[in-house]
Amino acid sequence: MEGDQDTSDFTLVTRKPCFGLPTACPNCLPAYIYLKLAQLPFQLAFNSTFPDSEELPYFESGTYVAYNNEDGGVIEKLEKDGIVNLDSQLQSLPDYLSLKALIVSWLDEALTYEIWVGTEGASASKIYYSDLPWVIGKVLFYKQTYLTKKRLGLTKENAEQREKLIYKRASEAYEALSTRLGEQKFLFEDRPSSLDAFFLSHMLFTIQVLPETSVLRHKLLEQSNLVRYAERLKSEFLEESSSSPSPPLHSFPSSFPGKGSKTKSKPKAEKSEEEKKFKKRARFFLAAQFLAVVIYVSVMGGVSSDEVEYEDDD
Amino acid sequence: MEGDQDTSDFTLVTRKPCFGLPTACPNCLPAYIYLKLAQLPFQLAFNSTFPDSEELPYFESGTYVAYNNEDGGVIEKLEKDGIVNLDSQLQSLPDYLSLKALIVSWLEEALTYEIWVGTEGVCASKIYYSDLPWVIGKVLFYKQTYLTKNRLGLTKENAEQREKLIYKRASEAYEALSTRLGEQKFLFEDRPLSLDAFFLSHMLFTIQVLPETSVLRRKLLEHSNLVRYAERLKSEFLEESSSSPSPPLHSFPSSFSGKGSKPKSKPKAEKSEEEKKFKKRARFFLAAQFLAVVIYVSVMGGGSSDEVEYEDDD
Repeated sequence: MEGDQDTSDFTLVTRKPCFGLPTACPNCLPAYIYLKLAQLPFQLAFNSTFPDSEELPYFESGTYVAYNNEDGGVIEKLEKDGIVNLDSQLQSLPDYLSLKALIVSWLDEALTYEIWVGTEGASASKIYYSDLPWVIGKVLFYKQTYLTKKRLGLTKENAEQREKLIYKRASEAYEALSTRLGEQKFLFEDRPSSLDAFFLSHMLFTIQVLPETSVLRHKLLEQSNLVRYAERLKSEFLEESSSSPSPPLHSFPSSFPGKGSKTKSKPKAEKSEEEKKFKKRARFFLAAQFLAVVIYVSVMGGVSSDEVEYEDDD
Repeated sequence: MEGDQDTSDFTLVTRKPCFGLPTACPNCLPAYIYLKLAQLPFQLAFNSTFPDSEELPYFESGTYVAYNNEDGGVIEKLEKDGIVNLDSQLQSLPDYLSLKALIVSWLEEALTYEIWVGTEGVCASKIYYSDLPWVIGKVLFYKQTYLTKNRLGLTKENAEQREKLIYKRASEAYEALSTRLGEQKFLFEDRPLSLDAFFLSHMLFTIQVLPETSVLRRKLLEHSNLVRYAERLKSEFLEESSSSPSPPLHSFPSSFSGKGSKPKSKPKAEKSEEEKKFKKRARFFLAAQFLAVVIYVSVMGGGSSDEVEYEDDD
């Protein structure tokens, strides 16, 4: 890669791994894959706080930080700032942009729907909330499910129709991508691009994280050339230190324990420190919530028989 | 146009016209344009009730009705049911589909954002709520703005970033479509497709309805070949009975009064009947709301000094 930067200084901070993926968060995985496709050496670190933070994943190098909620995403920001760019000379092609829209809109929407609504969030709890106390995890899960339904425009009346439309668009997208890909190695001009990163991330997530009963997963596995594409890229770019070949994707069970990744000694120490801090904060939050609930119940219980006196305690 | 159907029986029911467009609703206009591109003769009728109904636009012919919230939309349903199909025998499905994703996801999102948030809903009030009593209109407007912000994933923290991303994607989409179109008459394979209906609807709406200060409108007008494309299609398919040529789109002021369309004697009688019914309903609703507010205020006001007695009136 260009520049005089000390390449051992690159760090990508994501959510923790699960389901055999280096990071189980669907927003973080594309950035990871992108850096791997670009063959840029980097360290992987994990951050378990703030399950709904929009800053993750972020990329840091010395004092430079690229958050995911700037410039449309980490990948876009890294390209714009010249750190790494797989898409040079591709961006002017109309095909590139419309394929990107297909992947980051229709497929992203389908995956979001499937994680939070279609499979009733079974996987989501594991990814985002497994480190939190059960009550807080449940509360945040319901809040996120509610927000996601609003984001997808789902209401009681239109839920069935919207689901049909979402699955239909995903089907059409898979077919179109399958037709376009054929037996090529990459989606575009025989070289890796950010579109491969986004699409591969979607595929790995759909196949490895979603349960076998998932409609979306079922539709994706029907396109065998897409599965071959994913297996090829996965074994070539994502698995460097395994001595035995990984099992083929189509036989991949849903909850496979993680395999060899980069050494995590530094991030591990950070992780347990942060974890302790977070657990303490979480316990305090839980206690405060419980106290609030108790106060509320006693106040409401007291209203119907006593006069209500409001006191503001700080 | 196969079959033995009596073609004078086709009716498209949409929201009312405004801003020089045959129907001012961005969901209804694509269906109208599609039928015009297909050169299928039909009557146009208007429905002013239920500003947030998802059934509009709907197409009826005798006992057959195609609502917009079935099968992914009126156009898709008409194609599926064989009434009319511009999209038959496509040569390149991936290209077609990814262009469609670009138009119905990125551009639609940008237009929705611009109508409800970017221009602070100035046009929205005119389109949806101008027939309602002011208070109800305002309430529905705020409700819809809130729902739209949720739909677009906007929060206080990310509003600026999301806006940048939405405009950036719209810019890129315009650029890609402009490059793809060149000086052709239609977007794809030299014949009108549903893509042209969707895109033309988006363009007409952006140019004729949004105010001149709109960022999105300005971005679109930068692509002169797109403007020429829209003018050509508009004059060839949408304006049949005008003796003088319509003013060029780029000089189109934002609120131009409507011009010659099909005679509307039947729909007009229906419209005033429905209008009366709706106005009566609206007045009753307004009175009920006011009564509810008064009761609530008096109850709350009485709560701190008297005992609270709950009575459920039906």
